[in-house]
Amino acid sequence: MTEPARNSPYQAPRSGPGLSLLLAVLSLLMIAPFVWMLLTSFKSLAESGDPEWLPGAVRWSNYPEVFKVIPFLRFAANSLVVAGWVTILQVFTSALAAFSFSRLEWPGRDRVFFLYLGTMMLPGLVTLIPTFQLMVRLDLVDTYAGLVLPAAFGAFGTFLLRQFMMGIPRALDEAAEIDGASKWQIFWDVILPLSRPGLVTLAIFTYMGNFQSFFWPLVMMKSVDKFPLPVGLMFFDTEHGQATHLLMAAVTMSVVPLIIIFVLLQKQLIRGIQLGGVKG
Amino acid sequence: MSTLGHRGSPRRRLFAGLVFLLPNILGFAAFTLVPLVMSFGIAFTDWDTLRHNIFRRESLRFVGFENFSWLFHHPDFLHYLGNTFFMMLGLPFAIAGSLGAALLLTRVSHRPVARRGAFIVATLLLTGSGLLLRMGGMGQAGVWCIFGVLAAGSLVAGVLTGGSVYRTLFYLPNFTAGVATFVLWKKLYNPQTGPINAGLAPVLDGFAAVVRSVPAVFSWGLPLACALLATGVSLWQLWRLRQHWDDASAGAVAVITGLAMLALPQVFQLRWLGLSPGLALGLAAAGVTVAAVVILRRPRRWGPVCALDTGLSAEIALALGLVPLLLLFAVGVAWGPELPAAAVAGLTPPNWLGDYDWAKPAIMGMGLWAAIGSNNMILYLAGLSNIPPELYEAADMDGASSLQRFWHITWPQLAPVTFFIGVMGIIYGLQGGFEMARVMTMGGPAGSTTTLSYFIYIEGFETGRLGYASAAAWVLFALVFILSLLNFRFGNRSAND
Repeated sequence: MTEPARNSPYQAPRSGPGLSLLLAVLSLLMIAPFVWMLLTSFKSLAESGDPEWLPGAVRWSNYPEVFKVIPFLRFAANSLVVAGWVTILQVFTSALAAFSFSRLEWPGRDRVFFLYLGTMMLPGLVTLIPTFQLMVRLDLVDTYAGLVLPAAFGAFGTFLLRQFMMGIPRALDEAAEIDGASKWQIFWDVILPLSRPGLVTLAIFTYMGNFQSFFWPLVMMKSVDKFPLPVGLMFFDTEHGQATHLLMAAVTMSVVPLIIIFVLLQKQLIRGIQLGGVKG
Repeated sequence: MSTLGHRGSPRRRLFAGLVFLLPNILGFAAFTLVPLVMSFGIAFTDWDTLRHNIFRRESLRFVGFENFSWLFHHPDFLHYLGNTFFMMLGLPFAIAGSLGAALLLTRVSHRPVARRGAFIVATLLLTGSGLLLRMGGMGQAGVWCIFGVLAAGSLVAGVLTGGSVYRTLFYLPNFTAGVATFVLWKKLYNPQTGPINAGLAPVLDGFAAVVRSVPAVFSWGLPLACALLATGVSLWQLWRLRQHWDDASAGAVAVITGLAMLALPQVFQLRWLGLSPGLALGLAAAGVTVAAVVILRRPRRWGPVCALDTGLSAEIALALGLVPLLLLFAVGVAWGPELPAAAVAGLTPPNWLGDYDWAKPAIMGMGLWAAIGSNNMILYLAGLSNIPPELYEAADMDGASSLQRFWHITWPQLAPVTFFIGVMGIIYGLQGGFEMARVMTMGGPAGSTTTLSYFIYIEGFETGRLGYASAAAWVLFALVFILSLLNFRFGNRSAND
């Protein structure tokens, strides 16, 4: 629901000041941990154990300090690059497959689709150990490719984009076909541009999901300079966990970009959730 | 109708279709299908990286079902399985929270007034609080000041933007959930320096003072009142179940499991009262047996148990009805019969992640924080906006109270959404817990927070017993598969209309 439906039964605004107050208090509770995080990140080491929420003086120097203790930027860059590659591969191959499932008529198509859809139920844990052994055999352990490849293909993106492409009027690509366009041209020049909102949604989902991924990098990556951010943060916590103020500065630097991204992109995200969920 | 691709022979069309499919399917085959088959094979071998590695090439031995039987004879595995299910008890709370948040959000006036103005006001207020922060040295009062300013800011912005600010704020914990927020919560839970215990200590002191000031009646009155309340809620739920007998879509199985679930908190309440567990279990078993007999041999005029399409699905109603019971249960387990006595002596806040009994609730609490404003809330919001307003108009004409409107219109209309959320929640819940365990507790204390996924990680990547790990993963898969089948069997009708 990007915009609440106009005919919503609750539209009759029964929202008194009490309701707004309740909501405000609840949302404050939800963000209180973030407030504490931010405030603690400005404290000094001595203050970081105090029950007092406010720092005595704002220490901006904690932030540069983080870069000295851990290669934070390196971790962040690793995450950005790995998630970026996963997203590119995922979106492109999913768009191709979704085109095939939604626009091309071939025998057995729907059966294959539902079979493929069924694999979404497969717990990732089942394939984890053999995938790792596979990576050992392929000599991809501790490489970026070893992080990207297993995450880049799957049924979810195909499903999401198929749902989206089903909503594009058939008349458009039929017209293109009458004009003699090849299937590739129809895909590339007609369907893909029209699917842009869907592609963006999938890209955001994939990107965020992989930016935060932890389990696989944890087992795959051995050298510290290739750690993605989540693994790096955990590393920081186990090595320098007593330095709460620095830890919180690092956590702030990892969380705040996410908050900004979310606030900017929430419309696309919410549409995607509804596309993938309600019609599932 | 000439659809695209209808030209050409079936063979050509198949070829074209597969060419487009190929990149995705190939990658999927290489990195999911092949490992899947391998995993199935490994589960039946004694692969152990200590004995089978590049330095020592002993040949793998086929051991049949030995790994599986080891798992089920291994007390730890059952413990971890139990942990996994315990953690999933948070699911009804999360669903209830999401629904509650969605209901609140839809109730806010939806007419955005002067959106830009709202943001300017909010920004000004935030800047003001930032300035206060820079002044520093204001002490604890400064925090409350900032909180007040933030509250006022979100209040103003919320009113002016029609609630979308609240939705954003509610959703943030979910969106940012990851190692960073787990590290954050680890610090929040810190018993010495964390703000949670710092805030809790005065509350508990006050509570202890109250306990000390009331007469000794309290020491047995409180548990008794709780037990009575729980019994009352259970009876109410039973009555509701009877009311919705015919349109309960989940059928006899759900009803019986629901009854068994209802009995559980009773057992704990009885234990809390100090009755012997044997007696409590006996009572519960008797109750469940009676209920099962009643259901299976019910009079014909009550109609079939598995039945009609729409309406309330019993097990979900039960799940939500269980919320107050689980709450009591949590309190009961946490403090046991010593609570009143302990309160007299003075209460200390728990050691959260360092305490065997508190570690799981602590992680569940964090999970709840992240789960309330999640995708589920968004789905509920969409579901709420899709309820035909005529239903409410008709109910208003009949003079229905708002509670009746909820029970008879909103809740049944949302049943497909609830079902979808519940099933997905169970499937993901079974696989969950790894990240929290790894980051916050390392599975401890004493295996208290080790879930199946963490166990698989330990066996697969630390002790290196790949055979056991794969077998455990397949047990997990079997559980997920059974639940997916149930979803397909019962959920299809209502969820995919």
